[in-house]
Parts: sequence; structure tokens; C-alpha cells
Amino acid sequence: MSPKNTNLRASARQEKTFARFTLGQRWEHAVLILSTFTLLLTGLPQKYREMSWSQDLLSTPERLELIHQIHHIAAIILAVEALYHLGRAIYLISRRKLSAAMFPNMQDIRDAWHMLQYLFFLRKDKPIFGKYNFEQKVTYWFLFFNFAIMGISGFIIWFPVTFTLFLPGGVVPASKMAHSTESVVAAIFILVWHFYHVHFERLNLSIFTGRLNEKEMLEFHGREYQRVAGQPTVDQNE
Amino acid sequence: MSLRKKIPTPRLIPTFSVILGLVILVYALASFPTSAQAAPSFSAPRQEDKPNNDFCLACHQEEGLDKTLGKESLPVTINPTEFGNSVHSKEGLLCVDCHTDISDYPHPDVKVKNVRDFTLSFTETCKECHEDQYLKTHDSVHQKALDEGNKEAAVCMDCHNPHTQTRLTGQTSGELTPAARLHIPETCAKCHDDIYAFYKESVHGNALTEEGNTDVPTCIDCHGVHNIQSPTTVTFRNSTPFLCAKCHTDSSIMDKYGISTNVLDSYVADFHGTTVKLFEEQFPDQPTNKPVCTDCHGVHDISKPDNPDTGIALRENLLVKCQRCHPDATANFPDAWMSHYTPSPENFPIVYAVNLFYKFFIPAVLGGMIFYVLTDIYRRILNRIKGVKHS
Repeated sequence: MSPKNTNLRASARQEKTFARFTLGQRWEHAVLILSTFTLLLTGLPQKYREMSWSQDLLSTPERLELIHQIHHIAAIILAVEALYHLGRAIYLISRRKLSAAMFPNMQDIRDAWHMLQYLFFLRKDKPIFGKYNFEQKVTYWFLFFNFAIMGISGFIIWFPVTFTLFLPGGVVPASKMAHSTESVVAAIFILVWHFYHVHFERLNLSIFTGRLNEKEMLEFHGREYQRVAGQPTVDQNE
Repeated sequence: MSLRKKIPTPRLIPTFSVILGLVILVYALASFPTSAQAAPSFSAPRQEDKPNNDFCLACHQEEGLDKTLGKESLPVTINPTEFGNSVHSKEGLLCVDCHTDISDYPHPDVKVKNVRDFTLSFTETCKECHEDQYLKTHDSVHQKALDEGNKEAAVCMDCHNPHTQTRLTGQTSGELTPAARLHIPETCAKCHDDIYAFYKESVHGNALTEEGNTDVPTCIDCHGVHNIQSPTTVTFRNSTPFLCAKCHTDSSIMDKYGISTNVLDSYVADFHGTTVKLFEEQFPDQPTNKPVCTDCHGVHDISKPDNPDTGIALRENLLVKCQRCHPDATANFPDAWMSHYTPSPENFPIVYAVNLFYKFFIPAVLGGMIFYVLTDIYRRILNRIKGVKHS
């Protein structure tokens, strides 16, 4: 092994990393990926059953039935995950064991405005973000409400007789329309917004590794870096 | 010269006719010693070797004439007026064109021993002229039943009495005439009288039988004619919506009655129709438990949706239909089906609102996000070109 390589390895070992996601959160994300991908893969062919690619998939009544069942199983897994996430977040935040950093605040609006100015060449500097920047909060909350809509509407059209015991019948076709349209919204959102920010803008694997390195931390979460390092935070608006 | 030529001609014709008539009379007298007086005058046979229809009718118009077949008797009286009005007579067909075994009297012995077998023995005869229709009947449920040994299954003559059948199609159009359509259900009712009783009371049957309205479907519009298929097959059931849609999406018929032509599209867009359409297209012979038109509207007893007793526009009537598949359905449940309505502020406002929301939400929010990302990409590319370090 050349001395150069040894140096590199040594420097790699010394590289400072910052914890970003707990193991539990990373597992939750894995469940989300799997269940959401399965739901889209089994749901969209049902929505677009006019298309030939869909009809290749739904080629027999047994396949159609199988796809329904896979969709339902994935839906239950995602619903359980969502309830677990929600329950755990409420529990931990109420006990002050989890920061409320994911909640949107005024700083996000300032950051978004700042970012827009930057994108339109009205400012030269980019905003310095905290632990979760406004783009990441948009991702979280957009999908939060998306899952809520998909989950509620999905269960209504799955169990129409039960839900019409106490809800007007019209909620069933409304749910069908919402479920069908919102699924496409979710697919477009994940592709355009989420994949852009975690794959193309930069490859951000922290949701799998759980950690960010110092460079990433400085570049993308400067405010959080300052907070962790105990440095005074910079007010960019001055 | 011209006079000499003209004068003998009128004299010759009657003379010639008398001679010819006498020859035939002698021939007839020799052949029909018992009924000679019944055939006093008839013109020359059209073809020399075939006796003409008057020749046959001379005996066969006699009331109460019958032929004993085994233990049964077959009426063989032919009403000359009715026969004269028939399409076969008008087209100049001879009795012996169909009754090919008869050319003389006494007639040859009939081998079959009952009336039904006698009728069945003529099926092949129709093929001589009506081959298309004949071949079609071979694909029909009636032929299938016949092949399985049911001798009562309808054959050509059961629907079309060859001695009285008038023309059914337009001389030039070849299409069934409205007058002919008017009597189709009565023909089918000869055997299917129980179904006819329902049909007569239905919105379609009532319009046909009471108002003489031939816009409505008769039996053959749904079941076909000649090659009538079994309506109890899965394939037939899966194709029902498209069968009804033949008329119900045709504005040239529906507009007169103010009936929506959106019924198929709205059905296919809603829960059940989506699946049925998939089955119809992809696996037409596979059963689906989703309802087709007839499951809610009825089959032969289809009534108007706003009929106060049976109409399914009334939620309590529809609920009964829903409960056949959703036994636990309650009063709110029928509204889960949009009843062929397009959502609007009046009908299904919740669905309308959801639709309206996404019409704005998708372009505004997702469009905005796409715009944001594109701007971000643009700014990055520009930075890279300029060599500016990002952030």
C-alpha cells in the first residue's frame, strides 16, 4: 500500500461526521420506500387500466386480484408505519426527547424568500439552513398530508359499506377521485422534488447512513453546524 | 295489308287459349278425378313440368283439410288470400319449389309420423334461398337445443310461417321495416310467453306494444336474430353495457326522449364499470362479480328510473339493488354510486369540489415545484460555467 493511500485512509478515519437520523428513523424510511413504491406500482396500473402497459400487468382476473391484495397489504403496512411514526413523534416531542425541528417556522419562510432571490439573481449568497431546510420540510409535510389523504380515502373506498354507516354516500366517489388523483400527485412529487434534492442536486445518503460529514454539514446545514459547534448563529438578513 | 295483319290476331288468342285450356283440363281431369269440379279454370303452368300454385290451391284452399300423420293430424288448408299476401307468393315462388316431393296427385306418402317431425323435415328447404340466415341459425341456441334432442326448439318455420310470412325488410334498403319490428316480440312470445309478459310491462316493451314506438329494442336487438346466442354466458354478461350502449349512446335516438348519452362513459368511469370494461376487453369469458346494466335496471322488466314503484332513481329502490351484493349496505350507501351523474355543484358536490381542488392544486403546486427545480438547475449550471463555487 502506497503512503498516499495510507494518508487518505487516515484522513477518512479522522473525518468528522454528525448524527442526522437514528436507526429507527432510517428503518422507517426503508419501510416508507418499500410500501410507497409497492403501492404506486400496484395502484397506477389500476388507475391507468386503459393503457397497454397496465393491461400487460393485469392480464388475467387472478393477476388483478393479486394486485389488489398486494396493494391492500402494502396499504396496511404503510398505515401502521404512519400511525407508529405519528404516535412516537407525539410521545417523544411531548417528553422533550425529540426536537421539534421538523415543524415549519418563520425562518423557513425567510429562507424560502432568500432562496428565491438567490435563484433570480437578486442575491449572491444562498441561505444558511438549520437541521432541516425548508425544502426538506416541504418534502416531509407534503408527503405527510399526501399519506393522510391516500390513507383515509383508500380505506373509505376499501370499506364503503362501513364508512357510509356514518358518512354520506358521496364521500365514496369523492375518495375514489382523491385517491386516484393524489396518487399521481405523490408520484410526481417524489420524482420531481424529492429525487431532485437527494439524488441530482447532490447524492444525500444520510437517510441510509444516518450521518452527514463535516463538508455536507457546513455546506447544507450551516446553521445546525453552528448550533452543534456552539458558535453564534449568523443572521443573514442583516 | 295492315288490316289483314291485325284482324286475325285477336281471334287467334282466345282460340289458342281455349285449346290449351282444354288440354290442361283433360290432363287435370285425368289426374284429379275426385276434385275435378274444384279446378274449373286456371292458366297454363309457369313451367311445363311444375304445377302452378292455383293448381295446388284448387284443393288446398278447402277449409278443414288435414293430413293424418301417425296419431296426429296436420292441417293442410292454405288460405289463398293470406298466401297471396305472403312474400313467397309475391316473389312468384311455386308451392312445389318447397314441396319438392310433390308434383302430382295422389301425393307420395309422408314418412314422418308426427306434425313436428314433418315441420323439421323442411328446415333444409329454406337453405335453398336463405342460405345466410340458415347458416346463422346453426350457431344459435335453438339449433344447439335441437341438436341436444329438444324437438320443440325453434326452426325457421316456427318464426316465419312460409305460407303467410310477409316481407320484413325494405325492398331496397334491406333493413327491417318498422312495421316488421312491431311484431317481433309476438313471434318470440309464441314460445317465450313468460318473458314477453315482463317485456310488455317494461319501458321498452310498453312503448312498442302500446304506442307502436319502434325506436325501442325488440327481442332481436339484444339477442340477435337467427344466430341467437345464449344470454346466460359470462361473455354475454360482460358485454351487456356495450350492448345497451349501442342505443343509449346514440343521440339520434336518445335526444328525442331527453335521455343522457353519457351513461356508458359514466358507468365505465365509476367503480363497477371500470372493472367490467377491463373484463370485457381483456378476459371476456371470465366472470366478474361487478354489476352490469341489467343488475340494477332489470332485464326484460326494465322500468323508467323515476318510476315511483320500481324506479332506481329513488334511493330506497336502489338500496335493494345495492344490498344484493353489499348485504350490509345502509341508507347512505346508494349515494356511493354516482348514478351516471357527472359531478357538479348540484350533483355530488363533494366529488366536484375534490376535482376542482386538484384542477388548481396540480398546476399551481406541482407546477410551481417543477419551476423551482428548473430554476435551481439553471442557477447551478450557470455557476459551474462561471466557475463560481456553489453556496
